[in-house]
Amino acid sequence: MSFSSQHRRALIVATVMGLGFSALSFRLVQLQVLDSQELRAEVRKIHGQVVHRQGRRGAILDVNGNLLANSQSVNIVTADPSLTQTQATESARKLAPLLQMDEADLVARLTREGRYVRLKQRVDGETAQQIRALKLKGVFFEDQYARSYPAGTLASHVVGFVDGQHRGVQGIEAVMENYLQGRSGYEIVERDRKGREIRALRNEAIGPRDGYNVTLTVDQVIQHIAEVELDKAMAQFRPHGAMIIVSRPKTGEILAMSSRPTFDLNAPGDAVPDARRNRCISDVAEPGSTFKVAIIAAALNDGKVTLNERFDCENGAFVYAGRALHDSHPYGVLSVDEILYRSSNIGSAKVALRMGSAEVHRYIRAFGFGRRTGIALPGEVAGIAHPLARWTKLSITRIPMGHEIAVTPLQMLMAMNTVANGGRLMRPLVVKSVTDQQGASVLEYGPQLVAQVISPRASILTTSSLRKVVTSEGTAPRAAVKNYDVAGKTGTAQKIENGQYVRRYYSSFIGYLPASDPEISILVTLDDPSMGGYYGGTVAGPVFRAVAEKVAQYLGIAPQIVESEPGNVS
Amino acid sequence: MLQRNRKRGSLQVGVIAKSLLACVYIALAGLGYVWNKNQVYRLGDEIKKREASLGSLEKRNAMLAAQLAQLKSPAYLEARNQQYNLGLVPPREGQTVRLWEPTPAWDAQFLARRTAGGTKNVVAQR
Repeated sequence: MSFSSQHRRALIVATVMGLGFSALSFRLVQLQVLDSQELRAEVRKIHGQVVHRQGRRGAILDVNGNLLANSQSVNIVTADPSLTQTQATESARKLAPLLQMDEADLVARLTREGRYVRLKQRVDGETAQQIRALKLKGVFFEDQYARSYPAGTLASHVVGFVDGQHRGVQGIEAVMENYLQGRSGYEIVERDRKGREIRALRNEAIGPRDGYNVTLTVDQVIQHIAEVELDKAMAQFRPHGAMIIVSRPKTGEILAMSSRPTFDLNAPGDAVPDARRNRCISDVAEPGSTFKVAIIAAALNDGKVTLNERFDCENGAFVYAGRALHDSHPYGVLSVDEILYRSSNIGSAKVALRMGSAEVHRYIRAFGFGRRTGIALPGEVAGIAHPLARWTKLSITRIPMGHEIAVTPLQMLMAMNTVANGGRLMRPLVVKSVTDQQGASVLEYGPQLVAQVISPRASILTTSSLRKVVTSEGTAPRAAVKNYDVAGKTGTAQKIENGQYVRRYYSSFIGYLPASDPEISILVTLDDPSMGGYYGGTVAGPVFRAVAEKVAQYLGIAPQIVESEPGNVS
Repeated sequence: MLQRNRKRGSLQVGVIAKSLLACVYIALAGLGYVWNKNQVYRLGDEIKKREASLGSLEKRNAMLAAQLAQLKSPAYLEARNQQYNLGLVPPREGQTVRLWEPTPAWDAQFLARRTAGGTKNVVAQR
């Protein structure tokens, strides 16, 4: 073998190898550099996945931290019909009792066209576990949050509910949506051949943030007391609707707010729209005699009258501007004190005439009538308080007895709270605080003073008169609470239908206790009671007493008159 | 000549030793890399399991919280009270003993008296 032959062979081998390596190098550069973007995208498409993680919606709690609403993870059972078609009958037979679905319906779903079908939503963890144990081919699970309301109907109008997309549509759920709603996060993950995530290759992960918890001023025990008494009143007096609000006059905190008819928060769709309405803030009606409190308090504040000043109540019929005004019982001469606790329409009209229309109108606005109270609940209405220019000559005699004006039950309670609270009108509070999942405070809501409407002296004088309402001389002896000093006022307003007053009534009682230093105030309103009477003192008074007794006991409010029961003290 | 051959032999041993060391180093580095990578995957899997476990515990916690809330609700307690005829009722006012709570002013007065009168006296008063 000559040198040149060896050299040639070596050259050929080197050339072949060089070409081979060059080809490999070129392919490497092509894969790693030139086509890198497209290939990476393709790999991501096959193995990678963006997984969205939903943040849990915050909970709604009562003032003592009891759960009123929370979100629970439930499962959606899905299927891939391309995999289930062959064993559809067998799978349906096993699934039907667990999913509580019709077998034929399941077979139809499992044999449908396409590769995705939802079999059932909101399947609890236990059932999902049982289905997993069946190891059915082509049956899968997805996670979903479902809103749960452990207390059912309790405080339903306050708490509210969410829609199918987990967005608040009523009550606190709607108003506090921005705080309750969690923020979604996402993860870019890579999966192996079997579809399992390769955790070490997780590229990017932004965790979801759970929503904040909202704590209400509502106390579930007081709410329960109110609702039980409301149900009893509904059965006893058969009204069209009924409402109870319990509040703290000094702070404006709402301890309970309930109305009937009501609905179950876990199935809001089953209730008629009328039952879902929060009547305490969305229904307006003429308040009747409870409105006299505002007029007499205003007159006492202005010094236009004194409690002992006497007015002729015309023996039950007073003609003014050509129209007669009547009292339910004929009265002769009554003091201002008596006008209030005996509830004389003529007496209060004469007090208002002494004040003049402008002053009466000014106080109506000052007590908060004709505008929203600003409670953190949706659907509140302002009521109707006509501007002075629209008053007729009769208005000055009709408004003091709660006609020609329409108010919400909450407005009326806040006005009464003003008298109870030394003349200070407070904004009603229903949300106490917002906290994160670790319990750290995000927002705190404290008492808010709206205005000093009347002086503390006028407030004391009005209260002294309101105390007599629950005595045998007043209109609501049945509202008296044993051992407690109660102040209150009855109201019986005729309802208007088609512009005419009809023999249907709006009966109410608003009271507070202890009268000298009020801890709680309670409004009871029955809309059109059809059995057992219609006077506020007769139908709403006893309901007030039942609620007040239990709430005072629960809150540990010290009685003003202590009666010992020998042998019972332990 | 012999000396030169010895030198060459020692040089070859050194080169071989160095090469071996380099090979061992590369092999160890490779093994270390693989072990490290393996650890990363193993820890990743462990994190994934813990995440899944935490998720399921959180779900269970939420479910139990709702169950507890239902069991603590006044309506449920009232129903159970009736069901088992327990006869539990809130105490009436006459059955309640209210204790007087000393005010800061009373405390100050009490301390002043104790300082002036001596412990014996105070004990007698109490």
